[in-house]
Amino acid sequence: MANPEVITELKKIPWFGTLSPEHLEKLAEITTLRPVKAGETLFKEGDKQDYVYIVLEGRVALEIFVPHRGKVRIYTCEQHDVFGWSSVTPLVRQRTAGATAVLNGKVACMDAEKLRQVCDQDRDLGYLVMRRLANVVASRLMVTRLQLIDMFANPEEKNA
Amino acid sequence: MTSLLPQSAPPTAGHPGRLIQPDWAEIVRITPETEGISTFWLRFIDPQVRERYHFQPGQFNMLYLPGYGESAISMSSDPEDEERLVGHTIRFVGTVTKNIGRLKVGDVLGVRGPFGTSWPMKQIEGRDLVLACGGIGLPPLRPAIYHIIRNREKYGKVTLLYGARTPKDLMYPDEHEEWKRHDIQMEISVDRGDENWDGRVGVVPMWFYNFRIDPRNTAVLTCGPEIMIRFVIYEGLARRIPAERIFVSLERNMKCGQGSCGHCQIGPYFICKDGPVFPFSVLQRYVNVEEY
Amino acid sequence: MLDITISRGTTVALPKAEFDLLLADLRENGYQTVGPRQQDESIVYSDVQSLADLPRGVQTEQQPGHFRLVQGASNNYFDFIPAADSWKKFLFPPRVELFTVRKGQGWEYVETETDTPRYALIGVRGCELAAIEIQDKIFIRPDFYDPTYRLRREGLFIIAVNCLHPAGTCFCTSMGSGPKVEGSYDLCLTELDDIFLVEIGSELGRSLLSKRKYDLPSAFVQNIANQKLARAVQEMSRSLDTSDLPGLLTEPETLEAARWDDVAKRCLSCGNCTQVCPTCFCWDATDSVNLTATQASRTRVWDSCFNPAYSYVFGGNTRPTIRARYRQWLTHKFGAWKEQFGMLGCTGCGRCLTWCPAKIDHLAEIAALRAEVNP
Repeated sequence: MANPEVITELKKIPWFGTLSPEHLEKLAEITTLRPVKAGETLFKEGDKQDYVYIVLEGRVALEIFVPHRGKVRIYTCEQHDVFGWSSVTPLVRQRTAGATAVLNGKVACMDAEKLRQVCDQDRDLGYLVMRRLANVVASRLMVTRLQLIDMFANPEEKNA
Repeated sequence: MTSLLPQSAPPTAGHPGRLIQPDWAEIVRITPETEGISTFWLRFIDPQVRERYHFQPGQFNMLYLPGYGESAISMSSDPEDEERLVGHTIRFVGTVTKNIGRLKVGDVLGVRGPFGTSWPMKQIEGRDLVLACGGIGLPPLRPAIYHIIRNREKYGKVTLLYGARTPKDLMYPDEHEEWKRHDIQMEISVDRGDENWDGRVGVVPMWFYNFRIDPRNTAVLTCGPEIMIRFVIYEGLARRIPAERIFVSLERNMKCGQGSCGHCQIGPYFICKDGPVFPFSVLQRYVNVEEY
Repeated sequence: MLDITISRGTTVALPKAEFDLLLADLRENGYQTVGPRQQDESIVYSDVQSLADLPRGVQTEQQPGHFRLVQGASNNYFDFIPAADSWKKFLFPPRVELFTVRKGQGWEYVETETDTPRYALIGVRGCELAAIEIQDKIFIRPDFYDPTYRLRREGLFIIAVNCLHPAGTCFCTSMGSGPKVEGSYDLCLTELDDIFLVEIGSELGRSLLSKRKYDLPSAFVQNIANQKLARAVQEMSRSLDTSDLPGLLTEPETLEAARWDDVAKRCLSCGNCTQVCPTCFCWDATDSVNLTATQASRTRVWDSCFNPAYSYVFGGNTRPTIRARYRQWLTHKFGAWKEQFGMLGCTGCGRCLTWCPAKIDHLAEIAALRAEVNP
């Protein structure tokens, strides 16, 4: 039986509102809520993957440590953004970026191992989850591409 | 198709009987903005020109530095400025602007203008507005922001999506609080953050994902690198905002400002005269033709 | 000689021997008489004082990438078809100083006296007159005018001439501009063996002719002229199908056609086509400064969409490839121009074919694009 508070929180997210009560229940059962404080590290690059996260409140930054440059903040997750999604993809075994809360807030944590199992057992739900994740990945890819282009760069610097 | 475009009024600075002959203006103030970018505040020396000169948000002037040439610069100041100063936020990149960058207060520049179409401030009254800009794309929108603030009740929800390369590249930081006070939702992001930056990291077009937009009543004004503009358009259209209500400001090589010299053409349009602000609907067929 | 009343539309017979009197009358009225002269194995437009200054008995052989003067069968003055030079240079000079400023308190204009020349153009072909009328739309608009062009244009006296021997690159019949002259001229000539038939096209033309007495041409002579004109239409070997223009060249599908890659391999991006074109209007302003940097000038010069710097914006060229630049030129001239100015930007004079060093036949390019887009 899922925690009613978790169901209430998840229902605030538009995508969960489109799920059947049965599917929502299955996902809520494997989800816990976690308050986070600004500056708090949720996971570090190289950590074993254990959860997929959804920002309920606040802002969480994804960071990669680069020698001589320190932690480079490559993306920030706003309310309802999903992060740590690679933990439900088949092959990635460790975190490829660290996650740090930038503002005080709250995140929903879905057990990645259990989520994989739920999706395997209920292929209908699995399809909906993967579809959603595909959208998240696509948006992340668009952002990465535009950052890669470095569109605000001074062309003179590039030519130098 | 041309009839869809608003006609721009004739310039009030520059000698009408002489081709591209400017009027003179004195640099009254120089405000450093970010690395390599400053705002030059100009006052026309001829009181008659000062009196009759008036621009609309989104229009540009041709600034002339004798011996070096002219450069097209959008006005970035309040069209209703009490001192009647005309502000130009200039990035020092080409021969002309680099040398303008060496000028001091009291020096004189030639000015022709204002040229081109403006943001359709009247037409978009009553709508929710998304102002999506990046980098040097904010200055041409700043006069529109001042206009909105002055007529705040005429517009619905106003969101400014503004992106820059790094936190130190953000322009006009002193004014952001003031804009928020006038109920302009500020969504600022940078391409690359560091640990001291607690704002957003990402790119301007993605923020469309995060907002509830009423596509039936939203207008988008966008200005910035062409690549950013394209993605803003893709996101706007995906959110079902009609192409007629997505307004873009384009940049090309502008020399005369009056649709005569030919340089700034895209398809049938002279950007200096039929633009720089276009409803996307008229550009739609050309936007994905490479090198057009 | 009959005492006749002449008016607009009247055609009179002018003996060739009296042509110089007409030139003298023009000069007396303050006109600088300019017309075709043979020079360096080509034809240029420059000062002419007398009919004897004109190339006599000369015809031209013209094909893409080919121009030769040849001796024709007759001794006529207008049997040739114009070369690279066009009248454009008299109205829209290739180089004209716009202003000079001197450093004082700030900058001040150095007042310069410029007299606007008044030209009488001798021997304007139908395609060339159409080209002038196209440039009128560009340089004299309700919202803007170019003072240099306007002053020169307003002072112009035009003596047109009907073409009787089209060259191999002519296609004015397709563009509706010739070989018979259409449009507004002061006088229009049709050259026969010993006389010119002169049709009066304006009040200015009438008043110039009214100083002297002329015969009306006989019906026989008129008939010969008409036959020659009809034959000229038949001799036009080249044509352009304009039925789907400008639409064909403004469709995104055409803009992405593979044909552009093909022509880009041949085009040198030399810009010859734009420099010889009587309608191309692009210009640039260049800056010069004296050694002490106390005086600076701006000069207007012809530009070309084939110049790499033409579409340069900070960071790079909007059209960095020859493919993009050739496409811009062709789709502007035969496409977008129509929406900008109400007509296509071509009058069928054929100069861009003749003077293309790569022998590109632009009409064939349009046909190839058409075939590719509508197979």
